[in-house]
Order: sequence, then C-alpha cells, then structure tokens
Amino acid sequence: MTARVHRPPLPRRWWRARRDHGLYMLRELTVLPLLFFVGCLIGALAALAQGEAAWQGWLGWMQRPWVLGLNTLALVASLFHAFTFFALMPQIVPPGAIDRRRPGVWIAAQWVLFGLVTGALWWLLAV
Amino acid sequence: MRTRRLQIQRFRPEQDATPVWEQYEVPCANETSVLDALIWVKEHRDSSLAFRWSCRMGICGSCGFSVDGEPTLGCHAFVRDYADGLRIAPLPYFPVQKDLMVDMTKFLEHLSAVMPYMIRSEPSGAHPLEQTPAQLARYKQFAGCINCGLCYAACPQFGLNEEFLGPAAIALAHRYNLDSRDQGTRARLTVLNQARGVWSCTFVGSCSRVCPKRVEPAAAVNQSKLSAVIGGLRGWLRPTVTDGPEPEGARR
Repeated sequence: MTARVHRPPLPRRWWRARRDHGLYMLRELTVLPLLFFVGCLIGALAALAQGEAAWQGWLGWMQRPWVLGLNTLALVASLFHAFTFFALMPQIVPPGAIDRRRPGVWIAAQWVLFGLVTGALWWLLAV
Repeated sequence: MRTRRLQIQRFRPEQDATPVWEQYEVPCANETSVLDALIWVKEHRDSSLAFRWSCRMGICGSCGFSVDGEPTLGCHAFVRDYADGLRIAPLPYFPVQKDLMVDMTKFLEHLSAVMPYMIRSEPSGAHPLEQTPAQLARYKQFAGCINCGLCYAACPQFGLNEEFLGPAAIALAHRYNLDSRDQGTRARLTVLNQARGVWSCTFVGSCSRVCPKRVEPAAAVNQSKLSAVIGGLRGWLRPTVTDGPEPEGARR
C-alpha cells in the first residue's frame, strides 16, 4: 500500500513568497508597456505608407499626454529589463571566457557599450 | 539559556487531512542550528516529529527545509538569526510524506535522466585519462552539488511542472559535458534540448541564490542553452559529423 502524501497546490500569488520571485515577475511584466511601444511603431509604418496627412496625424497622436506617459513607462521598463539582463550576463557566458570573479566589470562594460551604441544612433538620427 | 519559538508544519498522513502548524519553545545557545533545534524538539517534546538529517555539516544534503519561506539547510541556518521565531516547513513544490519529509522521487528521476556518468565512445586504454588543472577548473564548480533539492524548492518552473528536469539535474549534465574525459555531450544534449529540459527555464535565478554550495545551477542551465543551440546548428549544418555516441548507445 502506498502511503498518502500531501501535494501542496501552487498558490495563485506564488511570486509573493519570495522577493526575487517578485522581481522576476516585474521583469517579465516589462513586456506590457513594450508591446504598446511596438504597436506605436507599427502605427508609424502604416501612417508612412498612407501619406503625409496620416503621418502628421500619427505625430499628433504620439504627443498626447497619456501616450507620452505610456512610452516613458516603456523606456523605464526596458532600461530595468536591460539592467536585469546585464546583471545575469556573466552567468551565461561559457566558463573561461571571462573572469567571473569580477562580474561588476562586465556589467559596467555592457552599460558602456550600450551608451556608445545609443549615442551613435542618436548622433546618426540628429545629423 | 534563552528560548526561541519554533512553528513547525506537521503532516501526519494517518490523522491529518491537511498540514497543521504546531508551536514549540526551544532553548538555544549562540551556536544552535535550526537542525539542532528540531532534534531538541524530537528528543524532548514529540518523538513522532519526522525530518531527514545526517552529517550536520552541509555535506550530505539531507536537512533541506523551508525556514521563514527560504529553502535552506537546517545545519546551515542558526536560530540566533531569527529573533522573532522561526516557521519551519517542508521544501516547497515537493509532495510531503510526513511532517518535514518530502518525496524526492521526481528529483532522483531527473538526475538519472541526464546520464550523470562518464560516457566514452572508445575505451580509455591501459592508462588513466589525464586532465590538466585548467580542464578540471572548467567543471569543478558544477561538481559541488550535494543533491539537497533546495534549488528545486526555489524554482517556480518546477513548481508549475514537475516534469521539468530542473536546476540540479541540468547542472550535473553540464558538469559532465564540460569534462574533458567525457564524450557524451551529444547524448545529453538530446535530453537537455527538449521542452522539459533547458527551455523550461526562464532564468528566475533563485536556484543559484539558495544553493548552499555555490554551484550556480542557473549559470549551468543557461550555458547549456547556448550549447544546445550550437549543437543543434552543428547537427543541422553538418549532419554526418558526430562528437559522441548516439543516445541509445549511451545507456549503461
């Protein structure tokens, strides 16, 4: 005869049990404002295809306060996601590829690279 | 001697329909571990209290519990650090057999599924297989696992799906895949490159945080993802090239 066991159900709010699970859920939630931003970009392409009037309409729509607010949230969310991703990167690379005893150096290097690429793109768009 | 209040989750399958909490006042000194406190309860208050333990020094991996919601080894945690008392429960995500004892059958099945032994496609010959210190250093960290199961108790993906191979099993597979003497990477990647393998991991990272031996299973899982992709691409580009025996031939 097999002894009876208790199988604890996974609580619906399981992520509240541990702080790092809560942070993980926050990381995954960053996709929602980013979805809105991607929708805006697709809208921009559609407006470009339709002509100047549609493009001007899209520009006006993008300047509405709630749209600006949601896109600011998307920017903050993507920076937070990048922060978590950069912090995890030293664990992903194969052993021996980097000195994993100094993860801070590699995290800082990624932010520097990120800053350089962002700066270059900004310069290209501004010129 | 001061005392601390221990709340222990009890489950006696012959009498409890669901787990219940019981409270004990335990005398404790500065060096009293959580495991020592549980042993005191068993010796002085209730001899029917069930929990596993053996070495008391973080080697055997038997005394994994959830202490205030944190998967930890009873011999690694000290009562002095819990000024407001402790809540001790069995490891989450595992079926509870009795009190603090959990059924680790699935965990053991996952460990054996990844072929955690040396696989050779050709005999090593009369001489022992040699290894340089640098070759040893590549996998040594991942060889430190004591099979305590804390990483599974911290992994919500295992909580959602117990068929997920899980952190310790994948770390063990990675340990052998990185070993210069082993030739079983291809066979193991066949197991790891499945939905229930490395791709069920969403890099929560809690497994590495709770690991008492600093094995960093999250690193092993995500490095294995990279190996699985590279191995898959190699097989797709050059299907005739093999770097080890077929999975069928890998069985002992």
